[in-house]
Amino acid sequence: MTKVFKYTLIDLARNRFVLGYALLMLLVAQGLFMVEDDPSKALLSLVQVVMALVPLIALVFTIVYSYDSLEFTQLLAVQPMARRSILAGQIGALCVALLVAQGFGLGLPLLVNDPGMAAVMLSISGSGLVLVFTALGVLIALKHREKARGVGVGLMVWFLFVLAYDALLMSLMFALNDYPIEPFIVPLAALNPIDMGRILVMLQIDLAAMMGYSGAVYKEFFGSAGGMAVAFGVMLIWFLVPTLLSFRTFQRKDL
Amino acid sequence: MVEARIAFTSVGKRYGKLWALKGVTASFQQGEVIMVIGPNGSGKTTLIKCLLGLVRPSEGSIAVNGSVIGTDPAYRRTIGYMPQISQFPAALTIGQLLDMMRDIRGLDKVTTKDELITSLGLDGQLEKRLSDLSGGTRQKVSAVLAFRSGPEVLVMDEPTAGLDPISAGKVLARAAEVRDNGGTVLITSHLMEEVESLADRVAYLEDGRLRFLLPIKEILERTGQSRLAKALPAMLEVHETESAVG
Repeated sequence: MTKVFKYTLIDLARNRFVLGYALLMLLVAQGLFMVEDDPSKALLSLVQVVMALVPLIALVFTIVYSYDSLEFTQLLAVQPMARRSILAGQIGALCVALLVAQGFGLGLPLLVNDPGMAAVMLSISGSGLVLVFTALGVLIALKHREKARGVGVGLMVWFLFVLAYDALLMSLMFALNDYPIEPFIVPLAALNPIDMGRILVMLQIDLAAMMGYSGAVYKEFFGSAGGMAVAFGVMLIWFLVPTLLSFRTFQRKDL
Repeated sequence: MVEARIAFTSVGKRYGKLWALKGVTASFQQGEVIMVIGPNGSGKTTLIKCLLGLVRPSEGSIAVNGSVIGTDPAYRRTIGYMPQISQFPAALTIGQLLDMMRDIRGLDKVTTKDELITSLGLDGQLEKRLSDLSGGTRQKVSAVLAFRSGPEVLVMDEPTAGLDPISAGKVLARAAEVRDNGGTVLITSHLMEEVESLADRVAYLEDGRLRFLLPIKEILERTGQSRLAKALPAMLEVHETESAVG
C-alpha cells in the first residue's frame, strides 16, 4: 500500500489540476480578504465558496483521475499485491494531495488574514468535505464503466448535496412551519455533509443567532463538545461508508 | 506426468447474458509458446484477463503451477504481463515507474533483469516523464516491466504493436529466452508472421469457445500449407468437417 501511495502522491504532486486547485483557492480566499474590509464578512463569503467549490473539485477530479488511471490500475492489479492495497494507496494519495493543495490555498490565507476558531473550523470542515467527496468520487468511478457517465453522476451528486437537498429541506420547513419541526432539522442536516460543515463554521462565527429557532437548536446541539463529536463522527461515517463500499466493489470488479 | 504450468478447466465468463468465454479447457506446459488467436471479440483478452486475475471467471477454474488461483495475489509473482495499451501515471519518470514496480515486486537492484533497458535504448531516457513518451517508447517500458522479474509465465497482448521492427525483434527474442529457460509464454497477436516462428502451439478461439489447440507443425502438415496465415482458414474447414463427421 505504501508504495502505491508514495508513487501516486509523487504523480499527483506534479498534476496540473491539483496545482491549479491550490492556486484557485489561494486566489479566491486572498481575493475575498482583500476586497472585504471586515475579515469576518470575507470569511462568511469564503464559507459559501468552500462549501460549493470543494465538493465539486474533489468529486470531479477524483472521478476523472480514477478513469484516467484505469490501465495503470490494471497493471498494478496483475502484480503480487492485494487489490485492497492498491485502492488504499490510491485513495490515500488522492486525499493527501487534495488536502495539501487546500491547506496551501485556503489554510494559508485564513492563517494570515483571520486566525481564529472560525477559520480553524472552516479549514477542518473543508478538509472533511475533501475526504467525503474524494471517497464518493472513487465509489462513483468504480460503479460506472464509462467516464462520461461517471462524471455525470458525480455532477448530479454534487447538485443534490449543494442545492437540491437544501431546497427540499427548506420546502419541508416552509410547508410544515405550523409544527415544531426544528428538532428534526438536526438529524436531517446531518444527512448532508455540506450542511454539516456549514453549520459547524456558522456556529463559530455566531451567525446561528440570526438563524432563529433552528439556529438555537443547532447551537444547543452542536455547540457542546458532545455535539461536536457527533458532527465529526457523522463526517467520518460519510467518509467511511463510501470508502468501504469502494473496497467491496473493487475487490469484485472485473478490470 | 509433468504438471501443467497453466490449466484452464471448463472456464467460462459471462457479462450479463453474453458469454465472452465458454467451456474453455486447456493446459499449457513449461517451455512452450502459445499463440492465442481468433477474430475480434472471440474471447482472447477475457482469457488472458482471467489468467491474470483481472477478471473473475463465472465458472470453472484456472490453476498455475498446480494451485487454483483465487484471491491470493501471490501467484502473480511468477507472471510477467505486457499489455496492448500502456498507460502510466503521467507525471512520473521512467526511472520512478521502474523503481515503483521493482518495490512492489520486492525485487532488489542486483537480481532485477534490466538488460532490456539498455537493449531497447531506454537507458538515456530514465529521467523523461511518461507523459512525454511516444506510444512506441511506452510499449518498450511495458516490455521492460514484463521481463524484469524473470517470469515463469509471460503474457503478451499484441506485444509488437507500436514497436519498430528492431525493437519488436528484441522483445520476441527475449520471449524465446523465457521459453528456453522453461517458461510458458502466451501471446496474442494479429501479426501472425511475426510470432509464427516463435510459437509452438496455436490456441484458436471463436465466439468465446476454444476451437482447437494444436502444434503449429501439425496445423501446417494437416493443411498442406507452409505459412500459418494460409493454414488457419484451411484448418478451420478441416476442423469443421471433422466435427461434423465426429
